[in-house]
Amino acid sequence: MKKFAFYPGCAPKGASIESYISAKAVMDKLGIDYTEPESFSCCGAGNVEEVKPSVALGINVRNLAIAEKEGRDIITICSTCYLELKKAQKKLEERENLKEEYNEILSEAGLRYEGKTNVYLLHHIILDYYADTLKEKIKKPLNRIKVYPYYGCHSIRPKHITGYEDSENPSSLEKLIKLLGGTPVSGKRRILCCGFHASFSASKLAMTLTGENLKEAHDMDADCIITPCPLCHLNMDANQRKAINAIGKKFIMPVLHIQQLIGLAIGLSPEEIGLDKNVVPALYIV
Amino acid sequence: MEKREVTLQISRFNPEYDESPYFETFKITVHKGMTVLEALQYIKDNIDSTLTFKGFCRSAICGSCALKVNGHPKLACKTQIFIELDRFNTDTLTLEPLENATIIRDLAVDLKDAQEKFEKIKPYLIPDSEIVPQNCKEESIVYPEEVERFDKYTDCILCGSCYSMCPAAINFKDYAGPFQHARIYRFAKDPRDGLKEERSKIAYAFDLWQCIRCERCSDVCPKQVTPSEAVIHLRAMSIEKGLTLNPGARHAIAFYKSVISKGILNEAIIPLMSKGIKGVIEEMPVALSFLARGKMPPPIVKPIEEIESFKKVVALSEEVEL
Repeated sequence: MKKFAFYPGCAPKGASIESYISAKAVMDKLGIDYTEPESFSCCGAGNVEEVKPSVALGINVRNLAIAEKEGRDIITICSTCYLELKKAQKKLEERENLKEEYNEILSEAGLRYEGKTNVYLLHHIILDYYADTLKEKIKKPLNRIKVYPYYGCHSIRPKHITGYEDSENPSSLEKLIKLLGGTPVSGKRRILCCGFHASFSASKLAMTLTGENLKEAHDMDADCIITPCPLCHLNMDANQRKAINAIGKKFIMPVLHIQQLIGLAIGLSPEEIGLDKNVVPALYIV
Repeated sequence: MEKREVTLQISRFNPEYDESPYFETFKITVHKGMTVLEALQYIKDNIDSTLTFKGFCRSAICGSCALKVNGHPKLACKTQIFIELDRFNTDTLTLEPLENATIIRDLAVDLKDAQEKFEKIKPYLIPDSEIVPQNCKEESIVYPEEVERFDKYTDCILCGSCYSMCPAAINFKDYAGPFQHARIYRFAKDPRDGLKEERSKIAYAFDLWQCIRCERCSDVCPKQVTPSEAVIHLRAMSIEKGLTLNPGARHAIAFYKSVISKGILNEAIIPLMSKGIKGVIEEMPVALSFLARGKMPPPIVKPIEEIESFKKVVALSEEVEL
């Protein structure tokens, strides 16, 4: 079986703690072999790159090299971490001389980057390697529950960097929902942006986009939304009232991290998946 | 050769007669490998000679045939119908003109707004007289490792695909647009250019910070130019030039300082550092909801393990030129 290094990212260690709790609970239950290197740093979320692109690349190459040293692939539970790590891989693949330059830097930290480590989002791993295990573990199939799969941006785009699935018509979340016994309700906005990364620079637009995304799920009669990204989750859950106000509507839409939905189906308790930490009440959907 | 029956729903619009665009359905047989452009030409030649579209080079180099296939901007000449049918698991494709442009007729658009902005950002080399010789006998030498820094940005064919779906370009009239920023970056990194990184000031003046980083521009680009990366790197250049008086730049700087000192982000201080007291007040309702659920990010974070070697990597990386 494959071995993984778990890279939770910053939001799941803080404001999205429930995404971290539920990811670990689900990985333990499925018997995924993972370590959690405490020397992993923040990916920079693109913000470090906005100040010093070469530093953003350096810290992500370092993260990749840490996993490589352990001989493990990376599992992350944040779309932006996912993209940042993939971008670093791609950059060094395209520019061989940069790879050497960064390896000289890494040698100061006792590390080396060869490009052997793969980077995945948690649901990729579950679908590709643990689908049968998951099926066996399902205790409460999500019968009659309509789930809106929200991909957002960085889990699927740009396709020549992310590469896991088609960016125009992705299907991994739909597959996962079906596996759990639920019904996917897929709208066109599931691949559009929530505006999280413009929360400070274009805050009004960010809230309008999030509001419109929530509204599509509501209009399609979804019982809840799931997302692989804690940042999309923050905008759709913690900022939900603001977002729905921004488009002049009134409704409530529970938003779950995908691993929380998996947790519910495999019979983990609401506390074990941190459901009490979601801002919009989500327990009533099951 | 494998053939399939396909339904093409094509957006029609003649501004002389029609109030708004409408769809017309064409059912045709396509063979494997046939492109959207070939299908359009087939319809024009055999079914409806009034169907209007652009398509000049047929080699994905002139950029004229960009349109929307099932909602996604593509070059008609390099998009194979079978691949699109399989992608959406369907026998029907919708063909529409690019958005954020003026429809001339049917699928042909005028990218006037995008073009006007493009002209304003100085999309040409302004020679650096110290590097570019003043006579025709000497060469202006650029080394391969220098070209590497901007090479892919020279591949832009100005098809307008990125501009057509960019949320910032659609919502903010002063935002230059993805391919425009990509062009600014291309010259900012060119050693022959007289303005070089000063060009980031042009980008800044054209609302550089309004990009929401949705990555759609880099995704739809038929040449994989990655304008989104150009935008991020131009932001860094503009910060270097001292253009920091906006919430986006302040946020990035606060984020950067937090990460390089601890290896991990201190979420609790970001609103204060980015927007001051106003930011704290704005975020208060959300902060209270976090507090109520026992997940308020702590004001002090513990540094990551091996923080000293992390800091060494940061310091040395600062010197690398990308």
